[in-house]
Amino acid sequence: MRFPGVLALDRISIDFRPGEVHAVIGENGAGKSTLMNILAGDLQPDGGEIFVDGKATVISSPLVSRAAGITVVYQELALCPTLSIADNIMMSDMAVRSVTSLVPRENMRREARAALARLGMGSLDPDTKVGRLSVAEMQLVEIARAIRQNARLLVLDEPNSALSKRESDRLFEVVRQLRTEGVAVIYVSHHLSEVIDLADRITVMRDGRTIETIDNEDVSEDRLIRAMVGRDLGATVQWSLQAEGRSVDNDVVLSVENLTAPGLDDISFHVRAGEILGIGGLPDSGKDGLGEALFGLVDRKGRVAIDGVDLRPADALASIRGGMSFVPADRRGAGGLLSMSVADNVVSASLPRFSMSGFLRRGAIRREARAQVARLDARISHLGQKLATLSGGNQQKIILGRSLVTNPRVLVLHEPTRGIDVGAKAEIYSILRGIAGEGVAVVMISSEIPELILNAERVLVMRGGRISGELTGAGINEQGILARAMAS
Amino acid sequence: MADAVRTGARAPAMDRFSLSRLLRARETGVFFALLVLCIFLSIATDGFLTSLNLLNVGRQVSLLGIMAVGMTFVLISGEVDLSVGSTYAFSGLATGMLIIAGWGLMPAICVGLLTGVAIGLINGVLSTYGRLPSLIATLGMLSIVRGAALILTNGQPVTVNIRNGADAGVLETFSYMGQGYLFGIVPMQLVFFIIIAALAWIVLSYTNFGFRVFAVGGSAKAARVSGISVNTVKIWAFVLMGVLAAFAGILSLAFLPSGQAGRTGLGLELDVIAATIVGGASLSGGEGTILGTILGVLIIGVMRNGLVLMGVSPFVQELMIGLVIIIAVGIDKWTMRKRG
Repeated sequence: MRFPGVLALDRISIDFRPGEVHAVIGENGAGKSTLMNILAGDLQPDGGEIFVDGKATVISSPLVSRAAGITVVYQELALCPTLSIADNIMMSDMAVRSVTSLVPRENMRREARAALARLGMGSLDPDTKVGRLSVAEMQLVEIARAIRQNARLLVLDEPNSALSKRESDRLFEVVRQLRTEGVAVIYVSHHLSEVIDLADRITVMRDGRTIETIDNEDVSEDRLIRAMVGRDLGATVQWSLQAEGRSVDNDVVLSVENLTAPGLDDISFHVRAGEILGIGGLPDSGKDGLGEALFGLVDRKGRVAIDGVDLRPADALASIRGGMSFVPADRRGAGGLLSMSVADNVVSASLPRFSMSGFLRRGAIRREARAQVARLDARISHLGQKLATLSGGNQQKIILGRSLVTNPRVLVLHEPTRGIDVGAKAEIYSILRGIAGEGVAVVMISSEIPELILNAERVLVMRGGRISGELTGAGINEQGILARAMAS
Repeated sequence: MADAVRTGARAPAMDRFSLSRLLRARETGVFFALLVLCIFLSIATDGFLTSLNLLNVGRQVSLLGIMAVGMTFVLISGEVDLSVGSTYAFSGLATGMLIIAGWGLMPAICVGLLTGVAIGLINGVLSTYGRLPSLIATLGMLSIVRGAALILTNGQPVTVNIRNGADAGVLETFSYMGQGYLFGIVPMQLVFFIIIAALAWIVLSYTNFGFRVFAVGGSAKAARVSGISVNTVKIWAFVLMGVLAAFAGILSLAFLPSGQAGRTGLGLELDVIAATIVGGASLSGGEGTILGTILGVLIIGVMRNGLVLMGVSPFVQELMIGLVIIIAVGIDKWTMRKRG
């Protein structure tokens, strides 16, 4: 399976047996989701064969996948919030009945109640609207629906990222019960302790390959992490090694004390002038909400200060004035103004400086845009070019330019090179190092471990909304980061 | 876990018919609003609370109501249809012209309804396979169908009478459909509205098709995953809307009995959508009931009637109707959190 320029899956072999829980683990981008999408019929492999019950099967569509007894429960749930639990569970039954037939309400309730009872959820009223359920309950409703469809292979894609401990325990009970009923359960997860607790076999993926499939007997978390790492960073000299201790004598620019916000629990750290601080962690570790909380896009408790001056919470404008600039992960949505020109994007965060009595100073805007484009080596045809027509790398350069025009003291980046090709990545890294070299405190929040290793002078690893470890210098390596991100 | 589960869905099966659930229902709020309005008008005016006036209100809202029933299906399926005012004009005028041309009643009405089917089909196909947002597709159709009506009639009024060539027997039945009274008291338009609303209620609440309309509008993804053909369901909702708009247009011509392509049903689509939304249907799909729509239609009808009885100027009436729309939907949105 190829995505443009990237081999997402590379000649993998994996088998799933009835009555087993088969965990699939791997880092971000290891190819887990691609594999699940192929099983669900959402993506087609470029080569290779899939055998169901020993018979070569082409899973050409979601319908074929379901007919083969495969059901995927995605993280983003596919439920109708406005319909009742019974309606949702029985929806696929309704789809095969005559369109003019009456809705067998009582029958549906009874069947739904039975499906729920099988999952130990008999106390749920099947008439309750799904929109009123908790995420955990919704997940169980999806599983109930899957069981109704006589799923023989049930794929749970990171099912517990939104669940509380008790809710996960309940889910595991359900999974174990399904196993005794002969269902093959594929369990995709980042949580190693759970995987070891639950799985019969564990397949480790890395860079689109299946590294190994291990029988789960006396497997340690350490053993799994070792199997997951081992990515070759090539001959690139690690800038973080050269940079170690470089900013140690500089003043602290950004200090964060007891920051608490949605998904974040009592975070404290500081960044010095000229330092690149990396923030790593799994998708549900809280790191993805850190940028928004620092910049004031969501409400927060605790203290965020630049040069000792507190920033007002939940006030992004105050953060900009206080010297912070934020580059969000969602470049096409929250990051750039796609339908506007390069020049307009560059000055869009500093409009007061580029306007007089409410009129834009076009000349000054063009001069500034030209200067930033040259500085960042952005490849554009002309300043009026729409941002949407640029490549991802060049878009990101322009967005970085917008940050630089505000003369930030602190630059917070979230997934700064997501979806950008390798060459442009290297350029972005070198720009960021240059920015840090000018004394800006840079916070780089990233899911890509190599990116942290290559650039950060210091790395904080998050887990469960808290900071679970700090790494510096030669201590910044894949194993160290993964161990603090995953192990319990 | 059993306890954790309950926090989200506290209602056990027993209180399915409980008072609290009844009070939470969207229709209840609209119903009380209508009740308050009626009580107020009974006290404030002499003429409101008479059977004659109430039946009159019933007749006045019937055409709006017939179309709002169709709109309920379209909105629940997650789409919207702006072309209904034009369909109302086109199908009515086309039927009238056929009757004038000497056609029999049933053939003329059938052709009129078929034009509604065709328009609905085009709306549906454009909004699904054509991948246009229905707002855009039906906005275009609003203009196209209105233009077609103007071309068809050459902009001239269509008046269905014997002088223009209608058969006397045909005309008598046709007029009865629009102007007659069942048992000498219930307006025929209201009879049609009641029959259509009852059928629609059964279809929406008790048939597999109704179920699919809710599923498709609630989450197209979930419906697709379950093997429901989202496009087919939506197209049928549009076709139903088209037929009902055509039928309302035919009844309108039977009542008046004349119409003009440049005027008939102009802006009617907004009244229809307003009534449906006041009745609790959601523009984002997945929500709505026939009962709610009937109440929404009645609120707007009673309001208009009451304002006339109180001698309020028609200009103020428009303003009041606008306020009702905003307040009715606003109350629902502002109290949404409490109803959870």
